[in-house]
Amino acid sequence: MINGNLKATYAADEQVLNNAYKRAFVYGMALLCAALPFVANDYIILVAAQMGIILIAVVGVNVVIGYTGLLSLGHAAFIAIGAYSIPILHTLFASLGVPEGIMPFLAIPLAVAISALVGIVVGLPSLRVKGLYLAVATLSANFIVIFLIELDAMAPYTGGFNGINTPEANLLGWQLDTQREMFALIAALAFVTILGVQNLFRTRVGRAFIAIRERDYSAEVLGISLLRYKLLSFAISAACCGLAGALFAYFYARILPEQFELVLSLQLVAALIVGGMGRTMGPVFGVIIVVMVPELLKYSFGIIAGGSADVAALRAPVQEIVFGALIIIFLMFEPLGITQIVDRGFRSLNRWPFARG
Amino acid sequence: MTLNRRSFLARSAAASAVLAAPTLLKAQPAEYVFGASLPLTGPFATAGQLVAPAFAMAQRLINEEGGIGGVPIRFVTEDSGYIPQNALANYQRALATEGDALVAYFGDSTGFMKLVAPELKGDQARLMGSTSFASELANPEVNPYQYLAGPSYEDQFDILLQNIANQGGSTVAFIFSNTEFGRDPIEHGKKRAEELGLKVVLEESTKPQGADIPTHVTKLAQSGAEYCLLQGYVTGVWPQLIGGARQFGLPTKFMGTFWGMEKIIADRVTEQAGPFLDGYQGVMPYRYFYDRADAPRYETFAALSKEMFVGTPLENYMPTWTIQTMCAIEIAVRALRDTAEKGLELTADNTAESLNAISDWDMGGYFGGPVSVEGGKIGTGRVYTYGAENGLFTPSSDWFNV
Repeated sequence: MINGNLKATYAADEQVLNNAYKRAFVYGMALLCAALPFVANDYIILVAAQMGIILIAVVGVNVVIGYTGLLSLGHAAFIAIGAYSIPILHTLFASLGVPEGIMPFLAIPLAVAISALVGIVVGLPSLRVKGLYLAVATLSANFIVIFLIELDAMAPYTGGFNGINTPEANLLGWQLDTQREMFALIAALAFVTILGVQNLFRTRVGRAFIAIRERDYSAEVLGISLLRYKLLSFAISAACCGLAGALFAYFYARILPEQFELVLSLQLVAALIVGGMGRTMGPVFGVIIVVMVPELLKYSFGIIAGGSADVAALRAPVQEIVFGALIIIFLMFEPLGITQIVDRGFRSLNRWPFARG
Repeated sequence: MTLNRRSFLARSAAASAVLAAPTLLKAQPAEYVFGASLPLTGPFATAGQLVAPAFAMAQRLINEEGGIGGVPIRFVTEDSGYIPQNALANYQRALATEGDALVAYFGDSTGFMKLVAPELKGDQARLMGSTSFASELANPEVNPYQYLAGPSYEDQFDILLQNIANQGGSTVAFIFSNTEFGRDPIEHGKKRAEELGLKVVLEESTKPQGADIPTHVTKLAQSGAEYCLLQGYVTGVWPQLIGGARQFGLPTKFMGTFWGMEKIIADRVTEQAGPFLDGYQGVMPYRYFYDRADAPRYETFAALSKEMFVGTPLENYMPTWTIQTMCAIEIAVRALRDTAEKGLELTADNTAESLNAISDWDMGGYFGGPVSVEGGKIGTGRVYTYGAENGLFTPSSDWFNV
């Protein structure tokens, strides 16, 4: 039975992309992302950018749920914090006379830091409660953040119920005023986030998270501070979501509180479960299914059945049913997510024709 | 071949035609496209499913009447699930797939209209109507391409408050859902009430689907308001709030705005929960579909409905939601036709200019008389009263222009 890939040197063993499939996939995706702004139409760019933003957030959710084993249903709150930080910080910077060209370089890290701080606060209940109880505690964080954003007293900063127009990112004079340009930034940061988090789990911190996931009491016995590492996990996770939120704010010309409600939190968790928890590629596959497949279904059903309203009225619920059925089928046949299915595929490809599966 | 004056002119004409052909072809595509997002699934699927057939009727009607300058129009509709980003993706997809043929778009929510508004720039802009009456959208300086197919919620509150003042009322209560939809006209309403000498004795915000309604009924009773204006609900609070107030013996008169004025919903509530809606009033920008005297457009719809929607709820009655959509479509089509008649390209700028120039237009029965688009909206409406016995909303005021 083959259970690994031969590595002849320590350097080979330490590589992040430690086999040909991973290298091919990552370089292929990088090439695709680089080429996309030049060849794709606006709609494809829109969907790709949406996927990039959600991907960064799901990578964050993966840190806390997939690697640390802490169930959270409130991560949309961190995206909201990141998103709303951008217009607020830009207004603040403008009043301080900060040049526009460097605002994103300050605003994005600050938005990420603010989200991380809020993440630590939201993570506090994880020291006392676990599982479904923690899910409910984090869920309430989502409601509280939306409530605060909509609060009349906050309306001068957040726009309250009406939402707020967001600034365009200006990177040292390069005004990212089209979705195509924003996609370039989103894609670059998505790669950085995935690789960063992948590397995190090759460090002491990441291994501490995994130890907590496996059995937190045992981890504590081994000398891992639960207080420190659980809160750190929430902070890193919230930071990723904060980054996604900041990009969300730059990408859309306006943000509304209703965009960050429970549905978004559930979408993040659903993407993670479908893709595969605790795996680097889990969020990637999950986002492809949760964001891209509904659009593909809409597109293909539209081609087959036409775009007239009476047909759309019939096919819209059918699309929802097909999408729901797809997720159920994926989970039934592979509860560990699409990553496992892809792994199995690659394994059998590797061993063909000598063995399957 | 000799070149004389006649052959020279003939050849010049032929050459001009060949050279100009691409321009002509560009100016007149084989068909124009009118895109739309509707909530065909999700929380407002009922409304979306009722509105969807209107597009088939509109397509047939407009094309039978000559399309846009002789070019037929095709409607492309997508589901949004009532999620603003989904509707935005639908709009972007329509732009990408239809290109310049896409000349107008119909949005399904205030959220989408606000989200898309800053994106409507350059070649990404199209004339855009929607289901929304949000006051913020009726601002051509900020949102030059968006319009309301009726009065804003602030205007609707003006009409209700004016009607209360005309009837000699003195105290009003505002009960509204704690949403952007619910809060829209409240501040403006308070100012207007003060101007009219009405006292606002209660401002109460609730959840959109009222959970703690008995508390609100008690507060309403304590306030002693003669009139209670409801805003930001579709059906959510009628049985609990109005039914509860009637059980409490409150004489308060309840009033609503457009989305709280649909006969199908009022009939359903009456059938299931009793006749407490009798006497409920509200503002409606349009005439109800059963009020077809001197309304040739409604007669045309009625004839088409009988033919196209046999066996569906739309066969004999067109809901106010569907009327609003038809009205929004007709306003856009009028702007497109006016632009085409002027020989201009159907760009967002040209069509928006034509839209804002619409004045004294007899739409054939939608409104009380000829209407004009001013400030990105049509500021007219009247107060109707529901009768539980006959299941009809009947007029209880003249038409107000605001």
